[in-house]
Amino acid sequence: MDDLTFGGASGIIVLVAYAAVMLLIGYLAGRGQPNVRESVKSYYLAGGGLGFVALFFTLYATQYSGNTVVGYAPTAYRTGFPWLQSIMFMTFIIGAYLVFAPRLYAIAKKEEFVTPADWIRHRFQSTAVTLLAVLLMLWGIGNYLLEQLVAIGQGISGLTGDTVPYQIGVVLFVAVMLTYAWMGGMKAVAFTDVMQGVALLVGVAVLLGGSLYLIGGSLGDATQYLIQNEPEKASVPPLDVSANWLSLVLMVGFGAAVYPHAIQRIYAAESERTLKRSLAGMAWMPPITTGLVFVVGIVGISLFPNLGEGESEQLVGMIANEVAAINLFFYVMMILLFGGIVAAIVSTADSALLSFSSMISKDLYARHINPDASEGKQVLVGKIWGIVAVAILLVIAWNPPTTLYNIFVLKFELIVQIAPAFILGLYWKRLSSWPVFFGMLAGASLAGGMTLFGFGTVYGVHGGVIGLFLNLAICVVGSLLITPSKEEAARAERSAELSVR
Amino acid sequence: MHDRPTENRPIKEPIRKPWIWIVMAFIILAAIPWYLPGGTVAPIILGLPYWAFISVVFSLALCGYLSWLRLHEWDVVEEEEEREKSEERGE
Repeated sequence: MDDLTFGGASGIIVLVAYAAVMLLIGYLAGRGQPNVRESVKSYYLAGGGLGFVALFFTLYATQYSGNTVVGYAPTAYRTGFPWLQSIMFMTFIIGAYLVFAPRLYAIAKKEEFVTPADWIRHRFQSTAVTLLAVLLMLWGIGNYLLEQLVAIGQGISGLTGDTVPYQIGVVLFVAVMLTYAWMGGMKAVAFTDVMQGVALLVGVAVLLGGSLYLIGGSLGDATQYLIQNEPEKASVPPLDVSANWLSLVLMVGFGAAVYPHAIQRIYAAESERTLKRSLAGMAWMPPITTGLVFVVGIVGISLFPNLGEGESEQLVGMIANEVAAINLFFYVMMILLFGGIVAAIVSTADSALLSFSSMISKDLYARHINPDASEGKQVLVGKIWGIVAVAILLVIAWNPPTTLYNIFVLKFELIVQIAPAFILGLYWKRLSSWPVFFGMLAGASLAGGMTLFGFGTVYGVHGGVIGLFLNLAICVVGSLLITPSKEEAARAERSAELSVR
Repeated sequence: MHDRPTENRPIKEPIRKPWIWIVMAFIILAAIPWYLPGGTVAPIILGLPYWAFISVVFSLALCGYLSWLRLHEWDVVEEEEEREKSEERGE
């Protein structure tokens, strides 16, 4: 997003305005809940009382980031029509929720869960399994946060025409994010997500409208151009691309559904009805988010043909420049879009940060370091370690280690490995803790190892999915070989019980 | 939330109904063009290569199906919660 001709001073004004609104929302959210500093559930889950609008948008902000726009349009540009898969893998997240959210919601409300690990602990009563799951989640979500922090900086320096340097931009926006999250916790995060989500949606729609206008208004023309010039991007893809498509649907679907901050949104729902309605609405968001971005990428092929891989990464900025030049309306909307992209990245980062802090507070500090700590102390420790983590991640972002850099890109591959413990544990009473532990460890090692050593996919299937199958096999075979003790069987029965409230 | 005896109320939980997952697998597999001849493009339907059009139709079908399932095949504690809420409001 270098050299946005419409950026500069007006970009700075829009960013300052977005920042001011975020801070105001954070302040109001904090004032509206007096016990937000003393109660873990209040701070991390908004007291379990998120209504439809806030829950819907915070789910939206968790799944869609600024990267959905600035990263997916170039991918559509390079991949062509097979990138339609981006609609499907985002939709399947809702399918994956359907596997476990109904029961998990009911149990979480009954047992008053705060972190994802609360369920793992409740189900398996095993410190080893819980700690391994927490470690995988912290690692995955830390890297996810790192990616968002880098993207914030790129967005800001692009939008302001480098008048605000990358590092200063990141520090200022991260400070804003930390401040409103500190003041209002989950409620502030969810309410700012409403503003951030609306900005992104409107911006993407206008970007698409403008880019279609530039090519004469018809997607058919873009398709014809593609068929004549780059037919391989328009024709039925080879089988390994289809295998990759299905693999990505499975990995993103299950991985994003069991992201710690995604699970905590199940806990935070005010009621089952609210959760159902929010997710029912979410099922329609992929076509109008990744679907529109996909069309922007396809239109981009006729607007800016033959870009190399590096150049194509700048595609959204290049299209936005052209769109902003149409007239004043589009000019203003493109500034709002880029502000919205930055805001959307912030809104994804804040959810991840809050979830990170909650795991530090409850799963590590209150459980293993200071079990007598008051809830107020737990919240404070989580907040402070959240800031420390962000500071460390910023240092990594600016001085990427030359060796082992790949350990900072592992995300889905690691987090998806908690899916069997989470999902199978809900329904299969025989599932025992040690097979789960070794399954998770083996799956994460295989998936992480494959990524580290450069084998991201085999015949189109991702390392994360291969690791997941290994993990699942160990869980199932191991549990069938072990005869559970009477206590263990009774506990498994009780822990996933639905009927008694 | 205090404990109280189980009531004989039907719980609707998607995991218990295999047809839900069979239909979902069918839609997903139909949306991925593995079964179509590689390299083909024509005919163009509504500005899209035919296979992309098929993929979009099934992707939208997946959205609609998942949205419908949420609302009609999921009822675990909703009735109780809504009753509790209306009782609270009535007091």
